[in-house]
Amino acid sequence: MKTVLYVEDNEFNRKIVRQLLSRTSYRLIEAVDGEAGVTTTREAVPDLVIMDIQLPKLSGLEATRQLRADPATAAIPIIVITSFALGGDEEKAREAGADAYLAKPYSPRELLQMIRQLAPES
Amino acid sequence: MCPNERDRPVGSTGPVPETTPGLGERIPRLLLAYWPLGPLVRWVARLPTSVHSKLLGAFLLIALLLIALGAMSLQSIASVARQSRLLDQARERVDASRQIEHALGLQMTFTRNALLVRDDATIESIFRENNRFRDTFDRLEAAAPPDQRETIQRLRNTQDKVMATVARIAALIREDKADEAMDLHLSEGYPLYREIATLVTRAVRNEEAGMGQLREGVETTYRRALLLTGGFAAASIVLALGLGFVISWSFILPVRQAEGFLGQIAKGDFSATIDVPNRDEFGALARQMNEMSRELHQLYDDQRRAAHQLQVLNAELEQASRAKSNFLASMSHELRTPMNAILGFTEMIRDGLYGEVPPEIQDPVSDIHTCGKQLLGLINNVLDLSKIEAGHMELALGEYVVEDVVNTVKLSLRSLAATKGLEFVTTVPPDLPLSLGDGKRIIQCLMNLAGNALKFTREGRVEIGVEIEGETLRFAVSDTGIGIPADQVENIFEEFRQADATVSRDFGGTGLGLSITRKLVELHGGRIWVESQAGKGSTFFFSIPVRVAREAAA
Repeated sequence: MKTVLYVEDNEFNRKIVRQLLSRTSYRLIEAVDGEAGVTTTREAVPDLVIMDIQLPKLSGLEATRQLRADPATAAIPIIVITSFALGGDEEKAREAGADAYLAKPYSPRELLQMIRQLAPES
Repeated sequence: MCPNERDRPVGSTGPVPETTPGLGERIPRLLLAYWPLGPLVRWVARLPTSVHSKLLGAFLLIALLLIALGAMSLQSIASVARQSRLLDQARERVDASRQIEHALGLQMTFTRNALLVRDDATIESIFRENNRFRDTFDRLEAAAPPDQRETIQRLRNTQDKVMATVARIAALIREDKADEAMDLHLSEGYPLYREIATLVTRAVRNEEAGMGQLREGVETTYRRALLLTGGFAAASIVLALGLGFVISWSFILPVRQAEGFLGQIAKGDFSATIDVPNRDEFGALARQMNEMSRELHQLYDDQRRAAHQLQVLNAELEQASRAKSNFLASMSHELRTPMNAILGFTEMIRDGLYGEVPPEIQDPVSDIHTCGKQLLGLINNVLDLSKIEAGHMELALGEYVVEDVVNTVKLSLRSLAATKGLEFVTTVPPDLPLSLGDGKRIIQCLMNLAGNALKFTREGRVEIGVEIEGETLRFAVSDTGIGIPADQVENIFEEFRQADATVSRDFGGTGLGLSITRKLVELHGGRIWVESQAGKGSTFFFSIPVRVAREAAA
């Protein structure tokens, strides 16, 4: 069973992914800010991290960078959810070490497709 | 002029550039510092007359000196010539005196001969010689200076007596009284001859003494003339050199000062003022330069103040811009987060994630989804425009295929066209080169234009066409819609514009799409325009380079 960590401060968006994955074999764990995202990743070592770009305490980009810098978590695939605010969001996500990115508002269908691609269901 | 500047040597006044001076520079400096030339230079500088007059004055002075020198030489030459002439005359007189002495000797001889031979011919020769004697006397007397006249008078008198005596001797000889004649000759004639000889000798001695004096006089005059001419020439040279030095330095010093002064100004130091003693053109120049420096200083200060204000303003603007960017970023995120939930949940409901959707709910759920998408479109437009206004819109340049771009637009709008029963055609020529630009933004532009075309057309067709002309791609979106009145074509691309306020009621929309499209086209280095006939339809064109220059889009 694959574990997916979703780092997002908005309850409704977490709920979408929770319900999206409830019918799959993925186990979802959640974090509500960047710091918690990094800590949880280190403790739980999930198979995939979905990281929102704008988070309290620590930005999604910075959290991604920290995970990439840590050998224990460097190999975990990360999807960064950008908000397409200013030009170059995608580039920044790639530079920080994201394997893929998805612009908000994303289609749950596309997100599930991306998750399955990066961490195939066992 | 500062009162204490008088104490300083002239050579050191003003900001003369401090370079290692050569010999040609050190000598004038020394002269200016330690000779009375300094004050003289200052005096010339202070003369309230023009440079032209000063130069003319100096040249005239030198010319006058030369004229005086010439006159003096001429005078000396004349003096020497006069004395030489006197000397010649004295020599002539000495010659005459010698002739008299010689003639006297001859007379003595003739008289003796007459006494011995006792014939008339010899006596005749005595008289002849006596007559020649008289001629010489005349010459001598005419040429003699006054102090010699008396001697000559006495000589003449004595000669007359000799003549009388000789006549008597001659008479005695003719009467054959030789002894008496001999007695007369010895008692009267001979002493008279002796007297004449003495007188002649005295006259010659006097003349010779006078000649000596004259010779000395000539010598003295000559030496004095030589000295005077030499001295005058030397003085002229010194004066000419001095004048040249003084005048040139009275010009050079202010020029040097001006040079240093301008150098300081060039370095942005306006604290100095140029202060030259000159009351000529250089003085006027210095005054003008001071005036100029004051003006420049004022301008410089103003400019610095303005620059500082600009800097402050710039910093404030930068901060405001940063704040705006931050606000935009967080606003974008904050707006999208709930939109994400709305659209996400709707999609999952429609996808049957929560079980099969009852038929009567399907329609409202679909409406929620459509409205959500519309709201998202509006949010995107407002954010795009804000980004453009804030100067944060940047193109993500990459290679794209024009056909793919057009197909994406066609796929997205196909259903809308079908719903309205409109013909929707796209024409892309084959073999278009791979293009460079922001493909997503070009899709956005075409979506805006084609979306509008579909929106404002009730029947007929909408077409997207692409043409290539050299290095330029030209997109055209034409419709058979309501068209745009001619007077409103001009500002159709301005923000919040629609051809008519009623249009928005009938067709909806915020009027931001065209404005954003224009900005995006311009960011690609292209332009946009429209050809339209009200009631018949419109064609929107935009042209962009096939390959956008990277720095142009930055």
